[in-house]
Amino acid sequence: MIPETFQELILRLQRFWGSHGCVILQPLDMEVGAGTFHPATFLRAIGPENWNAAYVQPSRRPADGRYGDNPNRLQHYYQFQVVMKPSPRNFQQLYLDSLTAIGVDALEHDVRFVEDNWESPTLGAWGLGWEVWLNGMEVSQFTYFQQAGGIECFPVTGEITYGLERMAMYLQNVSSVYDLVWAHTPSGPVTYGDVFHQNEVEQSTYNFQEADTDQLLKTFNFCESEVLRLTGKKLPLPAYEHVMKASHAFNLLDARHAIGVTERQRYILRVRTLAKAVAQSYYDSRAALGFPQADADLRTQALENQT
Amino acid sequence: MSSDTTASLLFELGTEELPAGTLEHMATALCKGISDGLKAHGLAFEKASWFATPRRLSAVVMGVTRAAADSSEQVLGPPAAAAKDKADHWTGAATGFARKHGITPEDLILIDTDKGPRLGLQRTVLGAKLTEVAGQVLSDAVAAIPVAKRMRWGRGRHEFLRPVQWLVALLDENVIPLELFGLTADRLTYGHRFHAPDAIALRRADDYQAELRNAWVIADFKERRQLIREQVMAIAAADNAVAVISDPLLNEVTGLVEWPVALKGSFDNEFLAVPAQALISSMREHQKYFHLLNSDQQLLPAFIAVSNIDSSRPATVVQGNEKVIRPRLSDAAFFFENDKKTTLASRQARLNGVVFQHQLGTLADKTQRISALARWLAETLDADSTVAERGAELAKCDLVSEMVLEFPDLQGIAGAHYANHDGEQQGVVEAIEQHYWPKFSGDALPQSKEAAAVALADRFDTMVGIFGIGQHPSGSKDPFALRRASVAIIRLLIAVDSPVGLAAIGKQAVTQFAEGVLASDVTASVCEYTLDRLRAWYEDQGISVGVLRAVLATGNDNPADIDRRVRALNEFAQSASAQALAAANKRVANILAKSADDLSGDTQAASLVEPEEILLFERLSETKASLPPLLAEKDYRGALTVLAQLQAPVDAFFDKVMVNCDEADLRRNRHRLLTDLRNQFVSIADIAQM
Repeated sequence: MIPETFQELILRLQRFWGSHGCVILQPLDMEVGAGTFHPATFLRAIGPENWNAAYVQPSRRPADGRYGDNPNRLQHYYQFQVVMKPSPRNFQQLYLDSLTAIGVDALEHDVRFVEDNWESPTLGAWGLGWEVWLNGMEVSQFTYFQQAGGIECFPVTGEITYGLERMAMYLQNVSSVYDLVWAHTPSGPVTYGDVFHQNEVEQSTYNFQEADTDQLLKTFNFCESEVLRLTGKKLPLPAYEHVMKASHAFNLLDARHAIGVTERQRYILRVRTLAKAVAQSYYDSRAALGFPQADADLRTQALENQT
Repeated sequence: MSSDTTASLLFELGTEELPAGTLEHMATALCKGISDGLKAHGLAFEKASWFATPRRLSAVVMGVTRAAADSSEQVLGPPAAAAKDKADHWTGAATGFARKHGITPEDLILIDTDKGPRLGLQRTVLGAKLTEVAGQVLSDAVAAIPVAKRMRWGRGRHEFLRPVQWLVALLDENVIPLELFGLTADRLTYGHRFHAPDAIALRRADDYQAELRNAWVIADFKERRQLIREQVMAIAAADNAVAVISDPLLNEVTGLVEWPVALKGSFDNEFLAVPAQALISSMREHQKYFHLLNSDQQLLPAFIAVSNIDSSRPATVVQGNEKVIRPRLSDAAFFFENDKKTTLASRQARLNGVVFQHQLGTLADKTQRISALARWLAETLDADSTVAERGAELAKCDLVSEMVLEFPDLQGIAGAHYANHDGEQQGVVEAIEQHYWPKFSGDALPQSKEAAAVALADRFDTMVGIFGIGQHPSGSKDPFALRRASVAIIRLLIAVDSPVGLAAIGKQAVTQFAEGVLASDVTASVCEYTLDRLRAWYEDQGISVGVLRAVLATGNDNPADIDRRVRALNEFAQSASAQALAAANKRVANILAKSADDLSGDTQAASLVEPEEILLFERLSETKASLPPLLAEKDYRGALTVLAQLQAPVDAFFDKVMVNCDEADLRRNRHRLLTDLRNQFVSIADIAQM
């Protein structure tokens, strides 16, 4: 049965992955460009400890705003993120089962895994995997993490990212994201447009016209120095929050075209340097705790290597 | 396909979906690895076949010998002279050698060798047993599969292109004991993900292909490719259309499916207002669709997608694909309309922000250089230099258009559309599009001299620039595609029948750079590198290296002229007199190389003695008179025909005349005659080098 509403789609995915061993988390309460930035993915991919989680992550890409005029593009949208570490042997099959759970019959639809290699220059992370095609449409990203924050991932985290709006548009057969039915309420159906259209108009205006670039540059610089200060104090989690803030400030500056082509590359490198510093600091902090969630053999190995 | 003495071997590596472009390469390497491994053990076989789908790489080898024949080998010991001492007792060397091989000295035999007789023995080497070596052969073959980018998965340390899920290794009906990637080989394979999800126990190796076919998998890559081609062509034919099936796209699509089902979809007519190449690019690059043309070669608003499912409701798949392509085409239409609001020329300023190469400046710098060079080239080629210069000025402007940023392979094409829209001259429009031609080996060449001038200017600028900063291509590293650029230069210069050579153009290209940016010897290295490409280029056309060497030995650096000479000489080389004349030239070259005489003067007719040398002198004088007009016309065929007539007098000369005679004056005169003869040949090609 195909979920009739946007929220039903989310609930089904949560129930599915919850019943397959994932911790169902709530979204991170900060601005990020993708679910991968959530500490539950990026930081948990580092080190020998096991981790299985799923969550919705609101994602912001300021440059993608279209003032609510484009039926497919949003500066704020949702990703449904699944991470399993170590990646289970039947990870692909679990994904396919999750499609069944949201009413996609693989004998009717053409479901394909098409090569797509993922790289995040700002996070110093990369992995290999696929984009998943549903009748030629990319509906999910599927990645085996090989490196995060410059650190080799072992065990490997498997990551699945569902593009929720795109998936819902497909299932509800609408051609504008704003026409998606979010929920049925006593006052009638509430659409995605009812919930978010005004937000897209105003935030696009802010991103492209109003964002204070001087202040954003200051924010970026402040966050950068905070990351270095906080990692020095062995506080990788607050330090990481400042990496995310710096990254978002950079994205806003980018949307305002406040950074030139060559400068842009330099900013990306600066964020990467911060992400790497935090990754190492996080690894060390988990080591200091004795990698409590790791399998015994991997814990011993990792701790031996640490000394 | 097995008997008492032979067996069938099956190996299958089951994986998660492999990148489509890698299948053929990896599977053929696997199959070759297994075949070579068997051969190395002396195990012959009838036939080795490879199979590849997104989820498997496999090989079946039929009629493999179960056991290699025993062979015998000789083992050499000490020299026979050192076998016994004066008292006729075995020496320590002899007894030691015998002991080492577990026999007594009396069992040793004498073996004759180049270095005299030696003590030694003959022994039997047992042939390899297939059952004993198969496992190792398979692991070695897997280890030798070229993996472009390795990854790990789960909590394992194993690496491959994508996670490995299962292994099948069978020798007839028996599983070959084998462990790889933390998995144990078995007889269990898997069919199509959705049509046949359950494990299949293969009874024997020979059943492989048929069992998979029952499980909705066409394992044979080439068969699948042909099937897709036929399906796509049939759908197109039903619409009186022609599907454009390029080999790279067909290969990629073949690598994306196990059970191909082609389906036709369509899009709105209104999109046909967008340049066809943009629509084709959207369909091909992003969606892997084949596009359709009508009988007038016009793009039709339709596409063919190849799905991997025999859908219970094909309309779902078609509608889904139509839904994906629509926003993509809308994007292309949007970019096209939006780009046209700005003139192409006005984009020039933005090229300042795009780095070509940091030592060589921005695209704006490059544009300035190639404009001047294109102008010079056009003048040299007797073409319209204003058109060439304008074409070069605008050639790179579309790189900063929305359309090309989104569809990089529309570079040139988009620019031509915009230039046309801006009212630029037709010659300029063509130069913008065609200056990228030839895009690949065997691609079409620019249709006008002006476009060729821009194409040459762009490539020479890149060649001297990159060589000039010391980034010569090496081995497989050629990030600026200089190999391709130099072959293009050769083809372009031949096509426009250039009156000037590589060095002249290279020098002109170098002067466009600020002083000190480029290394001083750059022109010479670019010429050498480019001339080096000729060898492979002519070999591909079946022209021997000797012919090219003979032409290059004259120091010519103009590909247009080189090509004329090579083709004339290649034809001449097939003739009966060619071999004799080549030999004679070699002989002449040898004689002259050893000559201590002063050869600079003319042959003295009065000093000629023998009738054969007089005849040669006379014939040579006639030849010398008829050659210049032919050479001026670059009629090298004609010139060689004239020279061929010298064969008989030359042969007679060497038969009868003693060249290196004792009499100094006579000898010097003969050497001068030969020098004269040789100079005539070398004015076309040094055929002694053939």
